[in-house]
Amino acid sequence: MVFGEMEPAVEIVDLVKRFGNTIAVDKLNLSIYDGEIFGLLGPNGSGKSTTLLIISTVYKPTSGDVYVYGKSVVKNSDEVRKYVGIAFQEPKALWVDKPYEILLWHAMVVGYSMSDARKVVRQVMEDLGVWEYRNKMFSELSGGNKKKVELAKVFIQKPRLAIFDEPTAQLDVITKHQVWNMIEDLRRNGSTIIVATNEMSEAERLSDRIGIMYRGKLRALGTPEELKDGIPGGDIIEIIVDGPVRESFVEAIKNDIDAVRIDLKDAVIRIYVNKGEEKIARVVDMFSRGGLKVRQISLKEPTLDDVFFYYTGAKLAGDNN
Amino acid sequence: MREDLRALLLVTLWDVRKVARYKVFLLMRFAWFIVQVSVFAVLISYLVTIRSLGTSGIGYYEYYLFGAYTALLFSISMFRGYEIAEEFEEGIIEYQLSLPIKRRILAIGRTIGGGIASFIYTLPMMLFILLLLGITNPVLIAIAVLSALAFSIGIVGLAINIVFGLKSGDKTDILFGVVDALLVRLSTIFYPLPFLSVFPPYFYAAMYNPLSNMADFLRALFFFQDLKIFIHAPPENLVSYIVGLSVGLSILAMLFIERRVEGGGWK
Repeated sequence: MVFGEMEPAVEIVDLVKRFGNTIAVDKLNLSIYDGEIFGLLGPNGSGKSTTLLIISTVYKPTSGDVYVYGKSVVKNSDEVRKYVGIAFQEPKALWVDKPYEILLWHAMVVGYSMSDARKVVRQVMEDLGVWEYRNKMFSELSGGNKKKVELAKVFIQKPRLAIFDEPTAQLDVITKHQVWNMIEDLRRNGSTIIVATNEMSEAERLSDRIGIMYRGKLRALGTPEELKDGIPGGDIIEIIVDGPVRESFVEAIKNDIDAVRIDLKDAVIRIYVNKGEEKIARVVDMFSRGGLKVRQISLKEPTLDDVFFYYTGAKLAGDNN
Repeated sequence: MREDLRALLLVTLWDVRKVARYKVFLLMRFAWFIVQVSVFAVLISYLVTIRSLGTSGIGYYEYYLFGAYTALLFSISMFRGYEIAEEFEEGIIEYQLSLPIKRRILAIGRTIGGGIASFIYTLPMMLFILLLLGITNPVLIAIAVLSALAFSIGIVGLAINIVFGLKSGDKTDILFGVVDALLVRLSTIFYPLPFLSVFPPYFYAAMYNPLSNMADFLRALFFFQDLKIFIHAPPENLVSYIVGLSVGLSILAMLFIERRVEGGGWK
């Protein structure tokens, strides 16, 4: 896929959303292309869900706009909703509702006839393994099954733009893989997919491209490989030591090996450096001379976890500010 | 247009299908209503003697029955408002706003659906008092049913306006309690209008109160000759008021929801 040459399914233009004094989304600009699976990553409160709710016309932008297949969420929200289906982070149903009734009603609202609705609801419920719970009250379902009922809405709808907000939270490993396969099937059948998640493995497994949000802003954008390659000091030397490490010692290492950045939390030190294989011996030597016992040392390429930590602030250093 | 009608029907069904889930609630309300109209209503009608009534045997008992039914219909319609508020607190509004349904259709569908559901809750009570009074005229019964339906749609519209106006579960609870208490008391539900003329503010509040108009319309519909001295306006005026209330509050709810909720006004 060459993303720049594709038609945008979603164009987010200078999007701002405020709740009182809080800025949830801050001048966001982003294009999501027709037919791609786009992963939206970010910690809790980063503005992912708010962005998705604006795309699905539940929230209105404070300023800026979002165009879904060319239709503005501000001016043509009725049109936009014909394209969009969303599975919310928190399942939306009343405690007295029964899964089959919820999904049958949903299927009819999104355009199925009664007989087709019955068929598609049964099929999707069987695929997700919740058919046997169809007549239980929603309040009696486990968290995982509630989530499956929420996901089923989008799999039934098969919208042109399918949005999943943390689709596999609360699901076991086997079901996670099953849901990922179903999301990929949805894309194969022509849907564009947006998946908001906190899970790196999910983003990496599914996404053609990933956007990382933090504090309402888009901090990074690219394919998983581009993001990994984009971290300054691409290699990471991770060291676990016995005992505390002084800031001055960290500073000395940084200067000595020309590290791009060092994160320190308790006994774990992460050194972001270029040509790590040439510098690891020097690092071990410095620790040895500094009287610090190294319990474990490893050299690795950045994972998406590293990308996430890098772009969302120095979490490993305990800096939540 | 066809799509909109289909959507309207489905949104209406959202509320109507809930009726079956409240069987215990319905049975309890029905049982209480039977006690109210067969014990308390009889007792109170012994206490109240109205000399100006004719000789047909129609008295305060009949007057009271329609008042009690109207009060019940009002309370249950307001209760639907509580339920809608609770649904929204649980995030159902976000789900419904994301569906391929026009906002206006959603608002009007919830109002009509809520009104129909409320009316269905009270249908056994209405049939019970008609049975008690020996009323069998199908045309009059049909008019009573339609007017009660219009009234409950109007009251659900009022409740939805309050829910969306306040955007707070706690404030909604308090205001619903106040509105419920005031409207029931400042009405001709239990006290005929001529007796209220000693206190003009009460008199005028009761005259324009939707509950007075609904209860008096039912009285006029079935016992106009016997109860006309207590009914403050001709039946056609009363029914116009009820239809106007229903249409007006539904349209207001529609416009209000469109303004308040489009763009996450709920939270």
